[in-house]
Amino acid sequence: MQIDRSKRPLSSGRINFTPPGFQKFNLQNGLKIFFSEKNDLPIVRINFLVNSGSRFDENEKKGLGNLLAMCIDEGAGKLDALQLANEFEMLGANFGVSCNNDTNIISLQVLSENFLPALKLLGNVIMKPHFSEENFNREKHKVLVKLNQSKAEPDYIADVTFEHFLFGKDSPYSYPILGTEQTVQNIQNDSIKNMYEKKFAPLNSSMVVVGNINQDLFQKELEQVFGEWNGTSLTEDQHINHLKSFKILYIINKPDAVQTEIRTGHLSSNRDDTDFFQKQIINLILGGQFSSRLNLNLREKNGYTYGVNSRFNYLKEAGYFAVSTSVDLKNTVNALREIYSEVDKIREGITQNEMTFAQSSLTKKYPSNFETFRQIAANISAKVIHNLSDDYFEKYVGKVNSLKLNDVNSIAASSIHSDQLISVLVGDAKKISSQINEKEFGEATILGFDDVFYI
Amino acid sequence: MIELLNISHLKYNLSNGLDVILYQNKSLPFTAVNIWYKVGSANEIKGKSGLAHLFEHMMFQGSKNVPKEMHFKYIQEAGGTLNASTSFDRTNYFEKLPANDLELALWLESDRMGYFLDALDQTKLDNQKSVVLNERLERYDNQPYGLAWEKLLGNLYPHNHPYNWPTIGFYNDIKSYTLEDVQTFFKNYYSPSNATIVIAGSFDIDSVKFLVEKYFEGINGRSNQSVHNSQEVKLNKNKVIEFTDKVNLERIYLAWHTQNSFNSDDSSLDILADILTGSKNARLTRRLVFELQIAQDVSSMQFSGKYGGHFMIVATAKPGKSLDEIKKIIFDEISLLANGKASQQELSRSQNVIKSQFIYSLQNIDTVADLLNLYNFYLGEPNSFNFDLERYNNVDVENIQQVAKNYLQKNYVELRIVPENINAN
Repeated sequence: MQIDRSKRPLSSGRINFTPPGFQKFNLQNGLKIFFSEKNDLPIVRINFLVNSGSRFDENEKKGLGNLLAMCIDEGAGKLDALQLANEFEMLGANFGVSCNNDTNIISLQVLSENFLPALKLLGNVIMKPHFSEENFNREKHKVLVKLNQSKAEPDYIADVTFEHFLFGKDSPYSYPILGTEQTVQNIQNDSIKNMYEKKFAPLNSSMVVVGNINQDLFQKELEQVFGEWNGTSLTEDQHINHLKSFKILYIINKPDAVQTEIRTGHLSSNRDDTDFFQKQIINLILGGQFSSRLNLNLREKNGYTYGVNSRFNYLKEAGYFAVSTSVDLKNTVNALREIYSEVDKIREGITQNEMTFAQSSLTKKYPSNFETFRQIAANISAKVIHNLSDDYFEKYVGKVNSLKLNDVNSIAASSIHSDQLISVLVGDAKKISSQINEKEFGEATILGFDDVFYI
Repeated sequence: MIELLNISHLKYNLSNGLDVILYQNKSLPFTAVNIWYKVGSANEIKGKSGLAHLFEHMMFQGSKNVPKEMHFKYIQEAGGTLNASTSFDRTNYFEKLPANDLELALWLESDRMGYFLDALDQTKLDNQKSVVLNERLERYDNQPYGLAWEKLLGNLYPHNHPYNWPTIGFYNDIKSYTLEDVQTFFKNYYSPSNATIVIAGSFDIDSVKFLVEKYFEGINGRSNQSVHNSQEVKLNKNKVIEFTDKVNLERIYLAWHTQNSFNSDDSSLDILADILTGSKNARLTRRLVFELQIAQDVSSMQFSGKYGGHFMIVATAKPGKSLDEIKKIIFDEISLLANGKASQQELSRSQNVIKSQFIYSLQNIDTVADLLNLYNFYLGEPNSFNFDLERYNNVDVENIQQVAKNYLQKNYVELRIVPENINAN
């Protein structure tokens, strides 16, 4: 068969895709349920979201929300820690509790045939945790050891140091979710219990359920499991004011490092701002995928790194822009210079070709964000956390397609600020600082990681 | 048998030897393409370790009709995702696209399968060597405990064994590759007769058969390098190695030779790993982490490939706790399992978790495509999901006892990684 290989084959026809819908209802006690029925496989996925998270940790007790997450499934109802874990495993369930800046998340994935018993166990964890002193001490010690271990991990050091200097020490987002050795030492079992009493309540929680279950039956079961859960605490959302950042460079000395971890970025608008979609386009071109300007420059042209990416990150009460990479020691400053130069250049705007590429990529990829039970639950969870409109999924593709190049470019100029870049380099300070010209990246400060949170 | 795990498919081959496996599933409008080339780091020669992985990188550098950078760009513009990976035994390349752009994937994959050499040059090679050296630095050299795997392999497998070196390759080997190395590697291993393509997802069978023929039939098949035979490996005595690294906690690794993938003991060894460390109630986790609290973590796994297998147990000591004490408990627990029996409840717990994982894995069409290729590669039959699950269901407590006795009471390699400054304190 003779074929013409010289051109990209044309697409055949169009794809029809409707994002999965969901039902919203409240239980008698006010617990909000978001339910999406999905029947192609006998699976149920639950994300139970509590409006809590490390931003509510008191200053001296940073790490509290995380330790609460670690302790809450160490025994509940009539079961001790080992019995509870055993019950979940006998059901073949994936169960986990986590804590991020804004939310405590209890997640469960289980086969439909085991859903009801697993739901009852989940109910016990949420409503009847033991919080025994013995379990608390064990888990607390585990975090302290983990913090000690993390000091050897250059990517961890870079992430938490960057966020600390980015937000400034007065922000509730300034400290690591795990806390620091000093703040975790201050946490007592009573601190955990108090936090739990304040935050774990029906009005302060939402439950996202995606799965192969009948809604009527499921609603009845939910009333049975969570019906007697009461409490009226409700967390008022607090607005956080962050100061504008200015160009500055921190080198965190890790003399044994054979590469340098780089984080650079600045504060940016929040998730509910009107420039969200424009920023998605800008980021896709700058550093949001493999053929981005940053990756083609640092990796595919210069070979400084295995990979580099940029993102606009959104917390509930803050947003920021960041570039991350890890580069070989001798090219640390060359790489940083190229990052600054690409960030500067994107302010002049993207081309029509780039715009077309980005719109095509974002919209055509959209359906694949709804393939698994976990992905659908994660998307609905993000919608809940950021208060997005009910028709957000349906509107997404239309919104991206309606963007105009000049609008995107004016947002690029107003939302990216090369003169405000805060940079953190984790590596061999002696070898890095000899490459640096102070004026180029702002004032440079060399610190040990142990000093970062105490200056 | 679970009907959901019965993946009905069509398998055939082209005249140039390319194996084709089609699995139609129209529940979502995507199609996954997944190609396995039967070459991995096991096919490398001494001094050129890591070449299979470097080669995987080069396959994204363009081919005769696809300029550098465009492979990624075409797929991402179409809303697809893509990647590749290299292991001891095989290299896979995969993408998932909206169903109306399947032809794009076939065009790209066939162009690099047939016409890769036309676009190869020194600049691209130098660039990707530098990228891979950075990958090695980032993922291994600069990570705490990052060199443990290669230290273990080097001591566990004899020098002439294909699993003696790590897939990423040694630093100086990566630096040494020449254009000729890459060209020869392509000629030896990247022939249609050494590859299997799986297409899974939403498509029309007749059109896909037509398209596969259109793009791949014209690529000439070449004979491929013969591959190794499995060789018997045995440790004549225990080997103990200590290595200092930029870590804060001491860690112990224990490794024993076991069996190849899908050997009759392979699934029992997987379950043994789960009974030892797979959950909070698992024997070692419970004793070391939960009750005695002398370890920060403990894990274990049965690693198995085409040419060999080994079982590993890894534990990190809490500060001030001794690896000797941890090691003693590990061996106590092994004896308990080798001389007594696991309980039926422990076994059921593992089996229930495994059964659920099989169903969970069906959620991603790209995972299903890769598994079809995996079963085809190791078993010759793509639709082996139920067979695979049955391997685990058929394990009984006697099997667990036997594998504990037959493998974990033999000679082993012990690696200890300790903080660099421990002697200074």
